[in-house]
Amino acid sequence: MSALDILLIVVRIAFGAFVPLCFVAVLVWMERRGAGFFQDRSGPNRCHVMGFRAAGLIQNIADAVKLIFKEDIVPGHIKHKFYFILAPTLVFITAILSFAVVPFADTLILGENSYVMQAIPTDVGILWFLAVVGFGVYGIILAGWSSHNKYGVLGGLRAAAQVISYEIPMGLALVSLLAVYSTVNLSEMAQIQGQLLFGFIPMWGVVLQPLGVVIFIVAAFAETNRTPFDLAEGESEIVAGFHVEYSSMKFALFFMGEYVAMFVSSALIVTLYFGSYQIPWFSTEALVNNIKPVALLLIVAMPVAAYYFTLWMKKNNRSHYDRPDDPRVREAKVYAAVLWSLVAILEVIMIGFLIFSVGESGSRILVALLQMGCFLFKTFLMCFVYVWVRWTLPRFRYDQLQKLGWQKLLPLALLNIFITSAVVVSLG
Amino acid sequence: MTAKVKTIERKGGTFLEQLYLVEVVKGMVVTFGHFFRNLMDNSLLYVRHYPEVKPEITPRWRGRHRLTKREDGTMKCVACFMCQTNCPSNCIMIEAGERTDGVTEKMPVKFNIDLLECIYCGYCVEACPLDAIRMDTGIFSVTSYTRESMMIGLDDLLDTPPGFTEDEYKKGGC
Repeated sequence: MSALDILLIVVRIAFGAFVPLCFVAVLVWMERRGAGFFQDRSGPNRCHVMGFRAAGLIQNIADAVKLIFKEDIVPGHIKHKFYFILAPTLVFITAILSFAVVPFADTLILGENSYVMQAIPTDVGILWFLAVVGFGVYGIILAGWSSHNKYGVLGGLRAAAQVISYEIPMGLALVSLLAVYSTVNLSEMAQIQGQLLFGFIPMWGVVLQPLGVVIFIVAAFAETNRTPFDLAEGESEIVAGFHVEYSSMKFALFFMGEYVAMFVSSALIVTLYFGSYQIPWFSTEALVNNIKPVALLLIVAMPVAAYYFTLWMKKNNRSHYDRPDDPRVREAKVYAAVLWSLVAILEVIMIGFLIFSVGESGSRILVALLQMGCFLFKTFLMCFVYVWVRWTLPRFRYDQLQKLGWQKLLPLALLNIFITSAVVVSLG
Repeated sequence: MTAKVKTIERKGGTFLEQLYLVEVVKGMVVTFGHFFRNLMDNSLLYVRHYPEVKPEITPRWRGRHRLTKREDGTMKCVACFMCQTNCPSNCIMIEAGERTDGVTEKMPVKFNIDLLECIYCGYCVEACPLDAIRMDTGIFSVTSYTRESMMIGLDDLLDTPPGFTEDEYKKGGC
């Protein structure tokens, strides 16, 4: 193994492990500020370090500090302490592991070697995801059972029943998708989605499987225990549900696991149905061959985007009441300076790239970075949809939830399989 | 007499509504409208920036108490114990003494109100025959770091200025 091999392994594993963790912070922030804006409130915007509030992200640090320094209680009535402590780790580890097979850029070809851009470059792809995510519910059941608490057991039971009933429509929606792509490897699925349908529509899963995408997204919402299917922690009925006896970092692990699961399922929805890392209409090869115009476009687009972002920031980052020497305006000025210096550094790098023209490998790395950005952007939007739905829809009643799963989604998924396989067979 | 029966039309039975998705999308469009409006200009949020921007208090608001004075500056209270007797939470503790300023015979030597016990019902104000105790200071946020400082005495009560003019207070219905 050369040094390059090792470097790329480290990079890929780092991406697979740290991106979900970083997204936890982003998602918690997005949930809170998003909830605020959806309800015409402002959300947490006061926490600051030296006057820098980072749009409310500092609140996450305050929360993390609080959770770390809270007393870690194992209630005295708990008989099986090992399982009690195992449960949150199980939830968290399965959530992180399930991201390992999601490709975040096209296979990187450097010289003679090619690197599949997944944390674990394996062929099992979607099967790995189903197995690991299905395992995650064991953590929830275990938490409910080992808490030795009626609310906990009820919450765990609800979560288990819900995940099992929605795993079936989810699996069936995937069956028809597999019939279309005829592979289980997520990297290959992503490559297929880079082609064009009839020469002008990107061949994304959402175009090929319009019914399947609805079923899959609904099932994914239920799998991650998010509103409108968050019965596992129905506040008014069973308090906090399965994590009612947990405190401190053990609770934080459940909390983070939930958000990681949300990130991973958005990443998977994007990978399966919304073109993965593919930039619409620009396949990897097209980008590599026309790298100079692309770089030129980036050089022009970055300052324009930064300019509008600065305008927006300066308009909104100020106090809405009389305040001498408004510290928020000063804060916005610092952010603008940081943003523009970042843009300047990127511009220098891009211009250097254009002048010295680093060759095939260089352009492939640039394309891979672009695709990573595209993948993260799409995933971010999908996570926003999660937040958006949470602050729009009320919770389903338990019988409605099961009815929707078994009487509506299951027949629809079966119908979808018949239609899809008929079309696939007739087209040969 | 027949009971009035009002038949309410049940909604949500049509096929489109049973599909959920159409209605879900409609709802999401509404919430996104709010989100986008607030994202583009956050001065439109329906929020009062509270500690810096205070709400307007009406004269009828039962705020923290104060003891009123006559025009010559002597206190109106004659330590008749009406407020203390009437107080449902027993938070007023008066100690009466001889009056030294020559207005009447009696005056409070101590007049303590335990603000942690007080339920701000206003019975003391209603019971007072001399309009000596009022809750018109407009102070709505009574907070402190220690228990002891929540017990306010005669001097504090006398020194607190009214939050409203006499006219406004009278218009409020007292």
